[in-house]
Amino acid sequence: MALTPKQQILAAARGQKLDKLPFGARIDVWYNYHSAHGTLPDKYKGWSQVDILRDQGAGVEVRFFAVTREEYRDMEVVETNDPPYITTEYRTPVGTVAKKEVFDTSEGPWIKYEMEKLFKSEKDYPVIKYVMEHTGAVANFEPYYKLREEVGEDGMVMTAAGGLWSPVQRVMREIIGYEQFFYELADRPARVEEMIEAVKDLERRKLRVGIECDLEIFNICANWSDDIQTPVFRKYFIPWFQEVSEFLHARGRLVMAHTDGEMRRLNRMFRETGIDIAEAITPAPQTLVSMKEFREQLGDGATIWGGIPSILFEPMYSDADFDAYIKNMFKEMAPGYRFIVGMGDNVPFDGDINRVGRVVELIDKYGRLPIQV
Amino acid sequence: MADISLLAQAIDRGDMEKAVALTRAAAASGANPKDIIAKGLQAGMASVGEKFSSGEYFLPDMLMAARALKAALEVLKPMLEKTGIPTIGRVVIGTVEGDMHDIGKNVVATFLSGNGFEVFDLGLNVPVQKFVDEVKEKKPDILGMSALLTTTMPVFSKVIKALEQGGLRSSVKVIVGGAPVTQDYANYIGADGYAHDGGRAVPECRKLLGK
Repeated sequence: MALTPKQQILAAARGQKLDKLPFGARIDVWYNYHSAHGTLPDKYKGWSQVDILRDQGAGVEVRFFAVTREEYRDMEVVETNDPPYITTEYRTPVGTVAKKEVFDTSEGPWIKYEMEKLFKSEKDYPVIKYVMEHTGAVANFEPYYKLREEVGEDGMVMTAAGGLWSPVQRVMREIIGYEQFFYELADRPARVEEMIEAVKDLERRKLRVGIECDLEIFNICANWSDDIQTPVFRKYFIPWFQEVSEFLHARGRLVMAHTDGEMRRLNRMFRETGIDIAEAITPAPQTLVSMKEFREQLGDGATIWGGIPSILFEPMYSDADFDAYIKNMFKEMAPGYRFIVGMGDNVPFDGDINRVGRVVELIDKYGRLPIQV
Repeated sequence: MADISLLAQAIDRGDMEKAVALTRAAAASGANPKDIIAKGLQAGMASVGEKFSSGEYFLPDMLMAARALKAALEVLKPMLEKTGIPTIGRVVIGTVEGDMHDIGKNVVATFLSGNGFEVFDLGLNVPVQKFVDEVKEKKPDILGMSALLTTTMPVFSKVIKALEQGGLRSSVKVIVGGAPVTQDYANYIGADGYAHDGGRAVPECRKLLGK
């Protein structure tokens, strides 16, 4: 009996050999934008993104933030909504910290962006530590199960135990901000490391709750960029990835990172992480790394999910350009095992949705495994 | 006479204390502040830019160098009050509307200002009209725009069209960049220049100005 798209994706993620390339397509940026603006193609008006992907014949990849949510004790957390802005104040016995985020899916993205970071100055260290230490994790499984039921055997709902980012990534990106992080790391390394440890402890609590959910693949980090993460990757990222991978592998689960950035000097270190799937891999022309280089550098131990840079869906590339790119990508990935075709990382709002179906046709024609060059 | 090449090295290594001490020594020895800037500070930042582009340096190296440069410029400030810091071009820069990512833009702005450009940083989420107004008011040689998302890249075109409609397009060179942006895309939308990273933005801007 033929494998379902979900079974194909999971088999490739586990390193099992298939007879055809699996495809897990992601279109939420395109879908969110056109749903909000009332500009979905006539055929797809009123459709869900899952149904659109089914209609295109593609395996489904949809995102769900996390299977746990944070719960606070011994502090007051006050959220003020002034759409699209959300201000959150954490009032603790040792002081108050606040962040301001913007959240608006109508232009495509599904996550919040911090306009104002939680960390402003050295005096915030003890307050943020207090916040992390007094934050717990509770199960948030039902919305995930509901979405998983909607997708069924047609693909995967990608999610995490705690959130998108590993502890150090959360500190760098969300709490302090990249530039200030490096100044702080140079000037007050012990304080920064103490903060990372506090976030790690919180993430361990989330993992212990999240593991009770029967999801197959855990996303444990996202959004690296070669220029930013490489110098601190071995010291601050890899030990955490190894710890979490060991924990999840021991319980039969797979581990994924959303790696849609420039990866040229991160690829070889990725081998040390224990992570099974490098998802949303984005090659040239959007980054400096070709798919052949990704395959060589990541090694045979990792499954690559991705390969089609978002920009290829833009109208500046003709259908012929698109087809030529996909066919060449298949050749570069030969023999094609441990590879799930996907987006790096989405279809842009002005992209042609029918190119998702084109990928399906090209896989049918040229994606039989092993790929012969 | 102080050895200004040592100052360039201190900037390159991001050694703020040494950069400040060497700048003080050079100024005290009677060196021309403009030479200290060109042969010491800017030469150091140019080296950082090259190493950043070649892959030898990373974001923290650039940040430490920029911090050292800023501290050294503070030392020279009183001497430059009358003449100002010499510039090779004026740049207005910002992340386009709808995009909350500014690190790439900040890197470019830092490299440009460290290499002698006068930079007006409009920040992130900059509306189309704000770019147009700033071009009208500041009369820059170059307008730099950044986008990290494929959803926000098309705003480049909107700004270019608004500049055309405002009769300003021929007065300013437009350079674009950001993670999903490519040279082909820059050509497609009619930008004058494209840079993959902050280090490459400096020679590209020099080229646009013929300097």
